[in-house]
Amino acid sequence: MIECQSLVKEFKEGEIRAVDGLTLGIRKGEIYALIGANGSGKTTTVNMMTGALAPTSGRVSVLGVDMPQGKRLVSGRIGVAPQEYSLYSDLTLEQNAGFFAKLYGMDSKRFRKRFQELNEILRLRGREHSLVSNLSGGMKRRASIECALLHEPEVVFFDEATVGIDPVLRAFLWDYFRSLRSKGLTILLTSHVMDEASKADRIGLVRAGKLVDEGEPSSLTARHNVSSIEEVFLKLSGKELTDA
Amino acid sequence: MPRARRFSVGRSAAVAGRVLAQIRRDRRTLGMLFAMPAVVMLIFGFALGGQVSNVPILVDNQDAGYAASVGANGTALNVGSHILDSLRADSAVSVTTGSFAAGRQGVDSGTCFAALLIPSNFTQVAFMQAQGRNVSASMLLYIDGTKPSIAANVLAALQGAVQNSSRVRGFSLVQQYAYGGKFSGLDVSLPSVIAFVLTFLVLLISLLTVSRETTSGTLPRLYTTPLTAIERLVGYTLSLLVVGIMMVVVVLAVGIGLFGAVVRGDPILLFGAAVLYTLSQVLLAVFLSNFARNEFQAVQLAPLIALPSMALSGMLVPIFSLPSWIQPVSKVIPMYYANQLFEGIMLKGYGAGTMAFDFAVVAGIALLFLALALTTVKDRINA
Repeated sequence: MIECQSLVKEFKEGEIRAVDGLTLGIRKGEIYALIGANGSGKTTTVNMMTGALAPTSGRVSVLGVDMPQGKRLVSGRIGVAPQEYSLYSDLTLEQNAGFFAKLYGMDSKRFRKRFQELNEILRLRGREHSLVSNLSGGMKRRASIECALLHEPEVVFFDEATVGIDPVLRAFLWDYFRSLRSKGLTILLTSHVMDEASKADRIGLVRAGKLVDEGEPSSLTARHNVSSIEEVFLKLSGKELTDA
Repeated sequence: MPRARRFSVGRSAAVAGRVLAQIRRDRRTLGMLFAMPAVVMLIFGFALGGQVSNVPILVDNQDAGYAASVGANGTALNVGSHILDSLRADSAVSVTTGSFAAGRQGVDSGTCFAALLIPSNFTQVAFMQAQGRNVSASMLLYIDGTKPSIAANVLAALQGAVQNSSRVRGFSLVQQYAYGGKFSGLDVSLPSVIAFVLTFLVLLISLLTVSRETTSGTLPRLYTTPLTAIERLVGYTLSLLVVGIMMVVVVLAVGIGLFGAVVRGDPILLFGAAVLYTLSQVLLAVFLSNFARNEFQAVQLAPLIALPSMALSGMLVPIFSLPSWIQPVSKVIPMYYANQLFEGIMLKGYGAGTMAFDFAVVAGIALLFLALALTTVKDRINA
């Protein structure tokens, strides 16, 4: 579903190597968590997977199509909720959702139905006509997720989607992600909150742009003989401060 | 009880230091801070320092001259020829000769600024005046009244030429103004004021609107959707054109409704010209916004374009007054053609046929900016 082979991204003419030979594969219908400290290259990797950023070298493909060359072929089948809310704060929730629906070619009837459905699931009902700038942080996060899911994509990228939200909402979102997975959706999410990762089907641990380990949460903890993913991460990173 | 905090110079200095550090960090802004005042000063200095020269005028000298016996020597004179020679020697005007009718036509079509007719009896009358006879001869000057400062220079050149020929004392000059009369300062200013307002405001609003997409963080998300870069560019252009048309309506309504701007030509044609020019400025803004990383950088581009346009497009000083080496620069400034269009339609009453060249140039400029915008627009994060 998503494949990266020796993926490299350099900035400032090679001065910064944000992603350094990353190779990973994500299967259809799984929740894959890309875990790493801030600045470890997670967002850069997601940007390359979604076609928003061209790799310096290596290959990335989504739904069998190389990115960013084949972006046009698959952009209608993927959904993205970026780390920033990336919504128009001076428009209402409905106007934002309506705009993204049009970009994905949804007709008005389908949009109405889907918008109502998602407002119900994501508990945004009653806020349709609120300006995004007036929504709380949690609501903005859910609104951003809503805009990523409107067009019923096959693959969704949630970049730090559960960061900065309260535990109740986080638990709710994880339940929702699992329900999406059961419908065949492939989810890649990034997070720097380690305890969240254990809820994913598989985890990829990223450090300085490299995939340092990968596997199911239980097998990872067993392999490193620790009790939590956070401990796995600390063990692999040597407790260094890797925050860029 | 805690004492009220006193004013702290240190805290103010911290704010000042922080602001300066931010400016220093933004290299483009830093460059603009030094480059913009220098560029604007240089342009205005050169533009305002010039003198009117080479104003094209046509002279029809029909003066037959006069041969008179004064004392023992016979004297044959042609005052008209003296005036003509004197005008030719004056760098303020560039003289061609021909029929007065052709000159009038030239003034009407804008190829010539004034046409002068020196009557056949001009020298004869001068002699008669010298002999104390109460006669007069009138030269006829057909002149473009839309540029009072140039008209004043042509009249000064003519007055000087007549004085140089010395024989004529009480010459009279009949002035006829082309395009239906002499215009007030407001009349002649409004076309270029409209052009300037559209240049500055359309650019400013357009640049701010497009660059907001960059600063709001929504652009990277758009890169992941099926929206293509060209579709996005066309979308920006269409929306900004709607805003631009609303601005055109306001500008024309205030200019015509409140200030009573003269519109001798077709108001619909004027509206069309304003909309076409607005489109060219919108496309320029869309193109330039590809290079602005934030709204602060974008907002600096509007004066950087509008101020030199103001100095060099004929708005502040007529093109004839610019130093000769700058004059060709005026011809590559879009606002020059906007001035030509608005002035032609409003003051001279020109129709679409006469203004076809200027319309074509503005349309060409719009296409050029569209091509530049299309070739520089990005469909992924700049890295």
